[in-house]
Amino acid sequence: MSTAIDLRGVRFTYRGAARPALDGVDLTVAPGEFVVLVGPSGAGKSTLCYILNGLVPQFLRGRLEGSVTILGEPAAGRKVSALAEKVGLVFQDFESQLFSTNVELEVAFAPENFGVDPAEIRRRVRECLATVGLTGLEHREPATLSGGQKQRLAIASVLSMEPRILVMDEPTTDLDPLGKEAVFAVARRLRERGLTLVIAEHETEEAAAADRVVVLHEGRVVAQGTPREVLTRADWLEELGVQPLGAAQITARLGLPPALTVEEAVEVLREAGYRVDPAALVELRERDRRRAAALGEPVIEVRDLEHRYPNGVAALQGVNLTIRRGEFVALVGQNGSGKTTLVKHLNGLLQPTGGEVRVAGVPTAGQSVLQLGRRVGYVFQNPDHQIFAETVYDEVAFGPRNHGLPEPEVQARVEEALAAVGLTGREEEDPFAMTRGERQRVAVASVLATRPEVIILDEPTTGLDYREQRQMMELVRRLNEQGHTILCVTHTMWVVAEYAHRTVVMRDGRIWMDGPTREVLAREEELTAASLKPPQLVRITGRLGGTLLSLEECLHALRKG
Amino acid sequence: MIVLTVLVAAVYAAVLIPFKAIPIVPGITELRIAQVLPPVASLLFGPAAAWGIAIGNLIGDLFGTFGPGSAFGFLGNFFLGAMPYMLWGRLGPLSAHQEPAMANRRQVLEFIIVTAVSGIACAFAIAWGLELLGLFPFTVLGLLIAMNNVILPGAVGWIVLRLLYRRVKRWGLIWTELMEPEEVGNQPTASVAAWLCAVATLAGWALCLALSVGAGGKFGDAGLQAGTGGAMNVVLAGAPFLAAILLSFVLGSPRTDLGQQGGERAA
Amino acid sequence: MDVYLYVEGNSPLHRLDPRPKMLLVVGLIFLAVAAEHPLVPGALLGLVLAAAQVAGAWPALRRVRTILLTIGGFSTVAWALLARGTTPLLGPVTVESLLYGLGTGLKLVATIAGSVVFLATTKNEELAAGLIRLGLPYPVAFAFSTALRLVPTFVGTGATIIQAQKSRGLDVESGHLLERMRKHIPLVVPIFAGAIRSANRLAMALESKGFGARPRRTYYLELRMGPGDWAAVAVAALMFLGFLLIRLTGWGEIPGLHR
Repeated sequence: MSTAIDLRGVRFTYRGAARPALDGVDLTVAPGEFVVLVGPSGAGKSTLCYILNGLVPQFLRGRLEGSVTILGEPAAGRKVSALAEKVGLVFQDFESQLFSTNVELEVAFAPENFGVDPAEIRRRVRECLATVGLTGLEHREPATLSGGQKQRLAIASVLSMEPRILVMDEPTTDLDPLGKEAVFAVARRLRERGLTLVIAEHETEEAAAADRVVVLHEGRVVAQGTPREVLTRADWLEELGVQPLGAAQITARLGLPPALTVEEAVEVLREAGYRVDPAALVELRERDRRRAAALGEPVIEVRDLEHRYPNGVAALQGVNLTIRRGEFVALVGQNGSGKTTLVKHLNGLLQPTGGEVRVAGVPTAGQSVLQLGRRVGYVFQNPDHQIFAETVYDEVAFGPRNHGLPEPEVQARVEEALAAVGLTGREEEDPFAMTRGERQRVAVASVLATRPEVIILDEPTTGLDYREQRQMMELVRRLNEQGHTILCVTHTMWVVAEYAHRTVVMRDGRIWMDGPTREVLAREEELTAASLKPPQLVRITGRLGGTLLSLEECLHALRKG
Repeated sequence: MIVLTVLVAAVYAAVLIPFKAIPIVPGITELRIAQVLPPVASLLFGPAAAWGIAIGNLIGDLFGTFGPGSAFGFLGNFFLGAMPYMLWGRLGPLSAHQEPAMANRRQVLEFIIVTAVSGIACAFAIAWGLELLGLFPFTVLGLLIAMNNVILPGAVGWIVLRLLYRRVKRWGLIWTELMEPEEVGNQPTASVAAWLCAVATLAGWALCLALSVGAGGKFGDAGLQAGTGGAMNVVLAGAPFLAAILLSFVLGSPRTDLGQQGGERAA
Repeated sequence: MDVYLYVEGNSPLHRLDPRPKMLLVVGLIFLAVAAEHPLVPGALLGLVLAAAQVAGAWPALRRVRTILLTIGGFSTVAWALLARGTTPLLGPVTVESLLYGLGTGLKLVATIAGSVVFLATTKNEELAAGLIRLGLPYPVAFAFSTALRLVPTFVGTGATIIQAQKSRGLDVESGHLLERMRKHIPLVVPIFAGAIRSANRLAMALESKGFGARPRRTYYLELRMGPGDWAAVAVAALMFLGFLLIRLTGWGEIPGLHR
């Protein structure tokens, strides 16, 4: 057999959908090949993944045309269970693909279903857990694992069927940087063993390691080739809604030979004689300083904050932080570093077990969340954890109504908030029927409607594609420019670089770094110690004489000579 | 779909557990928001909800209240999850004969009726079982559990269902659209069974309550004077009614023909 | 999130096969409810507490002590007031009714504490494996154990939802009764909708792992009965015999009690 996967003229329309999700896809994957699928939300990445193990059209019904051949056999009419043994599928949401009460049983679950002999299952459990690096955790409850560990467990639980092809649908979207890296490390290991790998991703930096990158857009393959052939078309990718690589972007804009990695770009730029112009850098730093000097009085003051959970574990220790009115602060750090615990003190969801938190000069101790909510708004990570109302209007009106405002005032607030997030005119729509990006904006509007001075956003870009992430952050920037103080908890380093004026890094319940974003991101080694990696452009320019934070800054400050 | 059973059980157990800490009559009954779920889940997911609610309650028991009453808890909660969808549309003039979208007053009224019947059936089964074991007087549990099961769900359950029904339908997960008619069955005795179920529930519960508080003179003179114990009367009087409720499940079948127009099927 | 009652350990009770352990719990329940007199459940409670000592199950019992004492206390008081006896003690309370109340309270405490010791020494997967080997159909066992696995996930989601809505000014403590009831809607709808939304994802993952692919599935966890396990079966059988004996002879009745 010469091909692992062979799709010819595949077109699929979900039942009841007006447009096909896949529209004439031809794709051939050789055994042992590592293919990465990229494309914006709605491009058809997931549908393509589901076709490979028969979930489309056996489970998700609709009209499938064209031919699908898996390992030399036509897939048409074959059950998911018949294909699943050959094509393992890992999903984005790790919570809904784990079924067992401990780790080893999770790995054993699929082979049990296929009637594999228990002795053989034991061998596979050992081997698969070793492959994903979870040896020693056999008896743990899945619920007690970190996100990255859960996703690796999900991979092991599929590998135990010993599939020939492994398909992963955005496996790292919900993970922090450490978790992402661990999942990619597993992928690299599997590739070395000759497993055929198909991974849908929207983080292009990791796609650079693939044999082939396939770009999907509106259900079609619009480009495919080696990472070098595809990912160097940075502006074109950005236009499609795929995050471009900084190295490719800057080299393309300057008309230089294309680069994919930081090292390549540095070399190309150096050879062409580019460096960061000291005068331009001084100018940028001066601008940073002027902005900092124009900030208002402190609105949040955290003094020697300590938080111990009832079981005695200290989540925060000796935290000191002052945030001024009008500031735009990014709070970064690994999961478990204490970021979320810290921000929950700012609106009273948590009370200090030591030290003090003041909001607008008043200690939070003794104030309720309701009282603090007038000054501090908190947008939770997942909009689905709060959306409940029948209409967008009612959802956004929830906050102001809770604060006891009269109905005409509520209406004014809702209109204002919806205008701010660009959802004017959609008051009567059902928020449940909106896209994730739109739901996220409804959640922001529902917090804006109470007109808080300070807005905390917890991972506002998670689960969004590149275009939606940009829209969300542009919205946040506008809010900041209108005078809101912004505190943004995030893992997404390019968001930090391009939007935050100041960056606070947390590690093990303490503040590890704190300063202007330009200075913090320049300290690569310390960031590495906190398991963080600045975006490509920052790293490239750091090696060329000064830290630049965005493409615009690069084009302005990178000069020949 | 077994997944729906799993999810209903897990959510029900998850919202039961936090309330174990602030019990009114703990283990057997608590004033709990969790009680909103059974009728709502029942009308959305049918049989999957009946098993899900029963299993979810059992799991809830495993967090510190598993004991002699758990078997009756399982049965009672099965009633709680099964009766609303079994009775929906089967109660003649009391029914709206529409899908339970909570779109109008008649539907809300029917929701309150089926919630009340199922809630009382649950109270009846558990209180009868614990009276049988001599662990709690029927009066206490029969009233408390019924109040718990009826007041909160009756007051706000229909709002929750209204917020969910249309959406779940759009996701293609309403049980009448997931199941084939032959899986559900269509008994000719279904209407009779529904009335039997409702009447046996209310009559049995009321009778046991009356006997338990001592107004049982009419039904069993032995009760107060002769020392054979009012408890025995409750147990004996309740048994045929419970049997009738179980029989109604054998003879009954739910309506699957309401609101079939439109709505695509997934899964 | 640590929501289960299991306490890590390697005591004889931890090592016992789940099947005889379940039989012991059932035997305990039967024996406990057999007689009216508090003597039997009292003795059983002593046994249960001894078992807790052996198994190191105190952390689990400590977690449920409030609910345990409330249930026991409530039952005791209810019967002391509602049952009738011949020897007046105080108001409606008689010696017989108080004795009976104590008996029922002890029955509840002994059996629930017994089940807590069972859960403290039995892992969820052992429980499921035991149930399957005792004849529970696999789909039911699957629903049970997967729901058990998801409980901490939903408890966590529920906690997040409460915080998110509080942050938007929801205050469930204020208002009159109906108002307070209605304030639970913003909490119930997201948790339920979230679970329903995940239904298709779970189902797809299940399909992808070959759930129901073969008419017969194999089982990774193997259970083997050793001599100690058979001894436990014998003890459970004795408990059941004790139940029959007490019931048939009418031993342990409280004379003059009338409930």
